Amino acid sequence: MSAVAPSGARRPGPIPACAGIGLRASHYRELLADRPPLGWLEVHSENYFGDGPPLHYLEALRARYPVSLHGVGLSLGSTDPLDRRHLRNLKALIARVEPGLVSEHLSWSSVGGTYLNDLLPLPYTEEALALFVARVGEAQDFLGRELLIENPSSYLQYRHSTIPEAEFLAEIARASGCGLLLDVNNVYVSATNHGFDAGRYLHAIPVAAVKEIHLAGFSVNRYTDGDILIDTHSTRVAPQVWALYRAAVQRLGRLPTLIEWDTDIPALAVLLDEMRRADAILNEPCHADVA
Amino acid sequence: MPTLRDLQRDFVAAVFDAAGERFPGEVRHGRFGGARLFQVYRNNVFLSLTGALAAVYPVVRRLVGEGFFDYLADSFIRAHRPGSGNLHDFGVELAEFLAGFPACAPHPYLADVARLEWAYHRVFHAAAPAFDLAALGAVPPERYGALRFDLSPAARLIASDYPLLAIWRANQPGADDTTVDLGAGGERLLVFRRALEVEFKLLDPGEYALLDALRDGATLEQASERALEAAADFDLARCLQQQVALGALTNAI
Repeated sequence: MSAVAPSGARRPGPIPACAGIGLRASHYRELLADRPPLGWLEVHSENYFGDGPPLHYLEALRARYPVSLHGVGLSLGSTDPLDRRHLRNLKALIARVEPGLVSEHLSWSSVGGTYLNDLLPLPYTEEALALFVARVGEAQDFLGRELLIENPSSYLQYRHSTIPEAEFLAEIARASGCGLLLDVNNVYVSATNHGFDAGRYLHAIPVAAVKEIHLAGFSVNRYTDGDILIDTHSTRVAPQVWALYRAAVQRLGRLPTLIEWDTDIPALAVLLDEMRRADAILNEPCHADVA
Repeated sequence: MPTLRDLQRDFVAAVFDAAGERFPGEVRHGRFGGARLFQVYRNNVFLSLTGALAAVYPVVRRLVGEGFFDYLADSFIRAHRPGSGNLHDFGVELAEFLAGFPACAPHPYLADVARLEWAYHRVFHAAAPAFDLAALGAVPPERYGALRFDLSPAARLIASDYPLLAIWRANQPGADDTTVDLGAGGERLLVFRRALEVEFKLLDPGEYALLDALRDGATLEQASERALEAAADFDLARCLQQQVALGALTNAI
């Protein structure tokens, strides 16, 4: 495990190829007081657009740990113009925090100025692909840095989608030059909900483009005639998702891996325990390639 | 095949469909019908926005009860759809909405509680610029009257006909069971931040009148006139000193 020690005024550098945890407000003080060994922290960018106590805590923790920014509100897949105010806020936060990675989602959340604040599914068509590639390019140009785009979890598909999701992501990465964030839980949730093969999905993801992995827990909506998995980030990582993660690491090599937990947030010790499980898998021998 | 824009418009309209039955025709029937699949998104949207309101308005929620708050939130979300990708911007209109919400009419103090909680929320997330005393020192005394100060972004004023602070305190987690006398009289409050904590200060009529006037762009001379109208014994020097120390004011323009 690559625990990070603060060294003078220099902030820790890039996100290391080990496990980290999502930073939650209820853990600020414990992290600052105990300085537990952990690889890195990730935050939801929008939670730090203000200039109050949250940013104060983030900057204090940034002095000790590498930090990545994960956006949920840019609405990259929307047909509205990109929100310049949102981009300016993100750019200012990037300048202040100097994150190792900056990521967003393959989704949309707004149209006609109404924001649903959810990660909504795109149809995988040539039109949506062209739009998404252009918007990622516009955002990257504005921010002056690479974005990682995360595969979504989804509960519905569209009749007129023509491109498999993994190929859609591969083409976004190729055409825009962005990186990818592979959320293994999302692959599992979507594969189960839509009945596709998660292993085949992994094999269609371009290895070189993936720079980060997410892991989280899902919950289950039970109906008399079957289940729908919901990506709630509210529990431990499921055994099937750990298995898929191991397969992903074998194919992709060691990558920064985040434990996400956003609702019913547990004690810090639980997150650190999940983090160590991910580290143990990352440290297993015989991973494909580590450049 | 619809354009992406048409699909997105249809999707949003279906989320807000009052009957909760509509869904875009492009949704593919999978293991389940389109209505059930789409309902997952409708639920997620309303749950996350209700959660965002509950996070900003915990006292209102405690006062009206969780069940009623969910009903209230549903009505509010339909009337005031979020207009920003930053969830912290959502919910500014709740006080006004409560004031016009028929089921809340017997509890007119609720709107003021919401106003206080929104002020708390904004003050918590705002930048708190330091007051530049050196710059003030460079101003010749004869020009003081023409100075303008601004309320800090991390400070807000609230005036209410109800004992807001007592209501707020009695509804904090772990507060003792107390009864608040709603007829105890009104309050003028400054909501501000000291270091990392949001705090409240009761203001007397003169202090409130001064800050209120400065916030509205009055010069120091005009503002102190209004403060003296509100309280004949108003002490400008003492009040300014105190408010600068609290961080309520930002610099003269």
